[in-house]
Amino acid sequence: MNPLRFSRRNLLRGTLAATAAIPLLNAQRAAGDNASPTRFVVFTTPNGTRNSLFWPTGSEKSFTLNQITAPLEPYKNKLTFLKGIRLNDSLQNGALGGTLGSEHARGTGGMLTARPLNAGKEFISFGNTTSGWGSGQSLDQYLATRLAPPTKFKNLQLGVHVRDTEVRARISYTASNQPVPPREDPKDVFSVLFGAGMSNPDGTTDPALARLWAQRKSVFDLSNGETQRLMRLVGAEDRLKLDAHLTAMRDVEQRLVGAPSMGSGSGTGSMCTPPTLANVDLGVDEQYLQAGKAQMDLAAAALACDQTRILTLQWSYSESEHLFRYLNVSGKAISGNHHAISHDFASSGTNFLAYNAIQTWYAEQLGYFLGKLDSYKEGDRTLLDNTVVLWATEIGESTQHDLTLMPYVLAGSAGGAISAGRYLDFSNARKDNNQLLVSLAHAMGAKDLTSFGDPSGATGPLSVLT
Amino acid sequence: MPAAPPTTEECAKGQDLVRTPLRRLTKSEYANTVKDLLDVDVSAAAVLPADEVTNGFDNNAAVLTVSSLHAEKYVLVSEALAKLAVQNLSNLTGGCDTAVKGEDACAAAFANRFGRRAFRRPTTAEDERQLMAAYGAGRTGGSYAEGIELMIRAALQSSNFLYRLELTPGPDSAAKRIALSPFELASRLSYLVWASGPDDALLDAAASGGLSSKAQVAAKARELLAGTKARAAVNSFFEQWTGTRRLAITTKNDTLFPAFSTELRDAMAKELPAFVNDVLWSGDHKLSTLLTAPVAFVSGPLAQLYGVNAPPAASGAGPVKVTLPAHQGRAGILTQAGFLSVQGHPDQTSPVLRGKFVRAMLLCQPPPPPPADVDISVPSVEEGATARIRFAAHESAGASCAGCHKLMDPIGLAFEHFDAVGQYREQENGQTLDVTGEILGANDAQLTGRFNGTAELAAKLANSEQVRSCVATQFFRFASGRSEAAADACSLSTMNQAFEGANGDVIELIVAATQTDAFWFRPQVAP
Repeated sequence: MNPLRFSRRNLLRGTLAATAAIPLLNAQRAAGDNASPTRFVVFTTPNGTRNSLFWPTGSEKSFTLNQITAPLEPYKNKLTFLKGIRLNDSLQNGALGGTLGSEHARGTGGMLTARPLNAGKEFISFGNTTSGWGSGQSLDQYLATRLAPPTKFKNLQLGVHVRDTEVRARISYTASNQPVPPREDPKDVFSVLFGAGMSNPDGTTDPALARLWAQRKSVFDLSNGETQRLMRLVGAEDRLKLDAHLTAMRDVEQRLVGAPSMGSGSGTGSMCTPPTLANVDLGVDEQYLQAGKAQMDLAAAALACDQTRILTLQWSYSESEHLFRYLNVSGKAISGNHHAISHDFASSGTNFLAYNAIQTWYAEQLGYFLGKLDSYKEGDRTLLDNTVVLWATEIGESTQHDLTLMPYVLAGSAGGAISAGRYLDFSNARKDNNQLLVSLAHAMGAKDLTSFGDPSGATGPLSVLT
Repeated sequence: MPAAPPTTEECAKGQDLVRTPLRRLTKSEYANTVKDLLDVDVSAAAVLPADEVTNGFDNNAAVLTVSSLHAEKYVLVSEALAKLAVQNLSNLTGGCDTAVKGEDACAAAFANRFGRRAFRRPTTAEDERQLMAAYGAGRTGGSYAEGIELMIRAALQSSNFLYRLELTPGPDSAAKRIALSPFELASRLSYLVWASGPDDALLDAAASGGLSSKAQVAAKARELLAGTKARAAVNSFFEQWTGTRRLAITTKNDTLFPAFSTELRDAMAKELPAFVNDVLWSGDHKLSTLLTAPVAFVSGPLAQLYGVNAPPAASGAGPVKVTLPAHQGRAGILTQAGFLSVQGHPDQTSPVLRGKFVRAMLLCQPPPPPPADVDISVPSVEEGATARIRFAAHESAGASCAGCHKLMDPIGLAFEHFDAVGQYREQENGQTLDVTGEILGANDAQLTGRFNGTAELAAKLANSEQVRSCVATQFFRFASGRSEAAADACSLSTMNQAFEGANGDVIELIVAATQTDAFWFRPQVAP
């Protein structure tokens, strides 16, 4: 491979189009090893689904996509529909002595943790029970720690018009009461992924950058030492907080001081192209599509460039009230907000059609993302093949706020760990979401994981998947 | 009925205290603190993640944690701001002349002075050793300026800066409560009234025994609250409490409300702080005035929305105060266009949201969200000539709906003379509006009885002890960074009594927040 020298100005001008490739990784990590790393992506859209128009028809290996998922047709043989997953008992209504939080909140906090929300007065729910924040570590954070991938970012959380900062807007947690905020600004994401601050392609480092790195290391050592000293002086709960702080500082230190270990994973993702970013105004609702595309392009590039192997991409927040004025139904722009529309029980009429249009629009965005992943070749596979994407939403049937049948779909086969192109219907013998999370961990290589999440949920992997 | 407040005897004995989790600086506190420390443009701090909101406030300590994203931004932002700061080195170092004193001596003096401000307490030998080590990393192979720059970066990334630490040990390990040190009190006071760190004067007062008694702290609080620097923090409470912070992401159907432009929205956002400033810094300080005054503060296209002619403003001046026509029934905060726009839908008003606000944020009786399996889609505007007709189903559908909705709808429907962008209308869809209503289920006799329209509703709320008590509770949450617990009863009682005694003077409420057990003590927690 011929490393090309590039200037940051060129990058930002976007003159390096699809033909030019920039090796953004350590030169030592060259070709020869064809085994690409496995990636895990969570792609969330809000407000549940309409089961009657979501699930395919047909049999396990010979199925037809339904109306809402029609945009995913080009990737059908890489999809795995999972019909029969319920959230575990600790997240269900009235179970285990009470209900902590609204269904939307529970479905959000429990999505990747398989744990109930904390007791607390912070958020109100029906029935006068209240809740706090999520009560445990989410799978993406678990995998980041457990697998410790040698990538610049152990994990990356991206968001599109998330904006909300309450329990319904956080799917990722490092621990109880430690929600992880998503990055919402594509310009900021671009700058940390592809901006300045890296060694030159030929392995040398500009002296100014080397000095910055050395100085950062000094400051990190000083501040980490001080945090450790303070940990001995505070109470147990505050110590958890400072420990999380220390972990976070150590997590970012690697890539901010040019540590050689970053980005040295094997695989053919050593050539990649930073995406061209259009200018997006995040304050304009109608630019939802453009904001989403920018984040999806960045997400795909980050995975292709092996800057991260664990990524969440979150659209809006649970119970989303996003407007869709740019979608037309019966010749008129959709006027209500998504959440309100999702609660209309009518099986025909304006809201019915508007809801379907919105759900299909979200499926189109997933289709775009899968297409991007599929466009990166990795040996005789594609990046999509080497990834497992979980498409999730916080509830099942929208009008019911149901949590007993979650509309989960997987895309990609995690490098072959998952046999894709199937419609698995086990709704007669439902499995707990804990088991799905264990299966995803196994697909990512953490094969010794036997259970995940609340003990009220079943242990072991999802047997139907293997 | 709420529990009876604790007696004076019970409180004198000293209740168990509630622990406030370690308080990391919020995004806005960080920006304010650094601005005061370095006197630079702090717009680089805008990339810090937005703080999680709990109970309506962004300063709830439990979830003020440092994620990897925070860590990354603390590094990058401190670098950007330190770089700006050393562009004015002489200003920063108090004019220490390195030619006369020597660079190391100037650096050491800076470490001592800057360290005290950054860590909000006198520096220890270890603090200074660390700051000088950072200086060395910049001075060696670099320059004096670079050394100072590194020192600033190290200080801003230190946990001593990022957290409001309260570590002064108690008299003995058996004591259940520990009195905060004067420096810790100085921090609590400055973040309460400025949302920023204590300045040199406040630190000096702490050092010299000027913050040792409740009376001293109360006097200092009043002094600080009288200054303009207190406006940002106090307005932050009002913006979060009323929900008007969400104006930035509020959208309206542009066919129905073509006037709802960015310009109008900005003018709406400016109105609440202008009103609060007027009442609390030029007026009578009273909550009742905030809830009843039929005035507006107009700029840009806002005057037109209110149907008044605004006197021409001097260029660069803020919003202009105007009196609104009596027939509109305007009454303070509750009928401001920004508030009404946020508490509404893109295409129509929401009597439910407006009633829910009064219930939850003025009466502290938050109604729960709707049951999981009902159709909560908002009726389209065509479905009924007026909102009262469209929402009648809440009552006719039976107890499962009416039970909660009778606590909200009869209040919210009184606002119907104001449309979804807060503009006055005589009728809706050609129909006369019935804006009578009632507050059911309150704990205050003052609130019973029917009212006609928002002015009468506001008058009831303005005179209500339950409302004052609720506002005091809301402010307690904002001031303490946590929800109130049963053991806070004495502290809340202190605030309620002061608020009542001062006839709802909001400045006195804020001062009272500095007089509570919750402010002066913390529980002893074993390390």
